[in-house]
Amino acid sequence: MSGGHGHDHDDEYTAPLGETQLRVKALESLLTEKGLVDPQALAALIDLYETRVGPRNGARVVARAWVDPAYRKRLLDNASAAIAEFGFTGRQGEDMVVLENTPRVHNMVVCTLCSCYPWPVLGLPPVWYKSPPYRSRAVLDPRGVLKEFGVALADDVEVRVWDSTAEVRYLVLPERPPGTEGLHEDELAALVTRDSMIGVGRPKAPERRPR
Amino acid sequence: MRVLAAADVGRMILKGGSARVPEPLPAKFAPGDRVLARNVNPVGHTRLPRYVRGRRGVVDRDHGVFVFPDTHAAGLGTKPQHVYSVRFAARELWGPDASPRDAIYVDLWDDYLDPDGDR
Repeated sequence: MSGGHGHDHDDEYTAPLGETQLRVKALESLLTEKGLVDPQALAALIDLYETRVGPRNGARVVARAWVDPAYRKRLLDNASAAIAEFGFTGRQGEDMVVLENTPRVHNMVVCTLCSCYPWPVLGLPPVWYKSPPYRSRAVLDPRGVLKEFGVALADDVEVRVWDSTAEVRYLVLPERPPGTEGLHEDELAALVTRDSMIGVGRPKAPERRPR
Repeated sequence: MRVLAAADVGRMILKGGSARVPEPLPAKFAPGDRVLARNVNPVGHTRLPRYVRGRRGVVDRDHGVFVFPDTHAAGLGTKPQHVYSVRFAARELWGPDASPRDAIYVDLWDDYLDPDGDR
């Protein structure tokens, strides 16, 4: 597939491609030559997931839930419908459930069988989410994994790990950070990180405003 | 064979395709029921993770009726049935060294579960 990355080193332009890249290019050429794939459709797919579908979508959902109690209730009662209010629908988000973090309960999400992930609100999954170490350790040692992500939890906080083995996709509603009382919805959305919506991070702290 | 056109990409992605089946089939279990994940080892496709086979849990919620992947993947029909989020205590899965508070929630179809008659 076409990549648009800038490279720092000259030799990256001339070095032979890796085995996977070569295989993908060969497959793409074959499928195109046989008329099974329209290269413009591939470009449109890549553009969609690079520019329109990603964790900024989920951040808007979370920020709305923080400022609007009625929306928060709709989100927890029927996540698919509440998320669709933003137009965030489609592949790998057809059946959504939102899990609310509280001072007593911390939720985190994994797919031990493969890499199931809520695309419409988070985009495509990061490499570590698909890796065997995360997938096995998230269920076996969630507190250890969280610690490595920089999330320390007190012993009296209950950790709930959600293994998305079926068709439901999960989004974590993180706790609103302290010190954000005066912030607008858009400012709050900027604090919501991808990792906080997987449940392996916390939202960013607000920048202190100059007096 | 139909080829996806560039103009249809957005609509196709945003529409999606749920595996939910709009049939009011009866549920075998209700939230709060104690269940036992079957200890079976099918050769073909399954979404029953090995780490819960033979383990006891409690139904947390009923997600509704979905296509059953084990038969669907084998071309043996959709066999729609309820899917539940089942809560397994970390200690039930990993033994006494696990946290007494923590739990793992796994989405399981009716055919993966039996009533837990021992308790």
